[in-house]
Amino acid sequence: MLAMVIDDSRAMRMILRRIAVQLGFEVAEAGNGREALDFLATSEEVPSFALVDWNMPEMNGLDFVTAVRADQRLRSMTLMMVTTEGEQSQIVRALAAGAHEYVIKPFTPDAIEEKLALLGVVATGADA
Amino acid sequence: MTDVMKVDDLQAITEQVWQSFLDPEGSDPLLLSLLEPSGGDVAAAISVTGAWRGHVVIGCSTAASRHAASALLGVPSDEVTEDDISDALGELANVIGGNVKALLPEPCALSLPYVVATAGVRWPAVHEICRLDGMWRDEPIHITVLESTSDYQGAAAS
Repeated sequence: MLAMVIDDSRAMRMILRRIAVQLGFEVAEAGNGREALDFLATSEEVPSFALVDWNMPEMNGLDFVTAVRADQRLRSMTLMMVTTEGEQSQIVRALAAGAHEYVIKPFTPDAIEEKLALLGVVATGADA
Repeated sequence: MTDVMKVDDLQAITEQVWQSFLDPEGSDPLLLSLLEPSGGDVAAAISVTGAWRGHVVIGCSTAASRHAASALLGVPSDEVTEDDISDALGELANVIGGNVKALLPEPCALSLPYVVATAGVRWPAVHEICRLDGMWRDEPIHITVLESTSDYQGAAAS
């Protein structure tokens, strides 16, 4: 099972990678939305989910979400924004663009896991 | 406009960041203290433009910056590189700045973070509206919110 972590900070990618690996996923990383789309264009496996930062150089997370939602091949991929953008208006924009969930930094690993479980991407503790 | 941010707000944000990323075990908390005002050896900042304009700045010692990079990246302190420090401190500024921005008048936009490894960095045309000083792993940390005093309106939030 494959997951994607998309964030311009290597430190944040490392933190999110650890969470996804702990959940049993292999992880592909990208430093911005453009890099992530380039990876997805050549990847045989569509990731189960992507954890997506908002503010990144070259292509931001909102534009990445919009591009993924326009691609039928990537329809199954769950998109979770993981960002410092905490205003209600920004959350509404991301969800309207096609993000399934929204997590505001700072977060705990449990918060990410619980939201992925609610989305049915990973088993809940009771199911495991 | 100096009432947009209180030190209690900044403290709550900072404590959340420490609990999530720098001290998840609760063994090395940031201890707030009354330190002599100082910018530190390394500064990471993020700028806010729009309805409110200014900067959120983290200043710390070189040793503290290495500890932060070590904690965030999961590498030993003595293996931390300058790139690691820039990345880690920049992300801390991004997270703290983003949460500060949520308390500011809308609309505002965040810049990407930037990091300066020079002691005594000065920020032109600003005044300090909020400041938190503390010690983390016996090293000084300073977090300041600086409001721009210039008339330049900056980029509108998108």
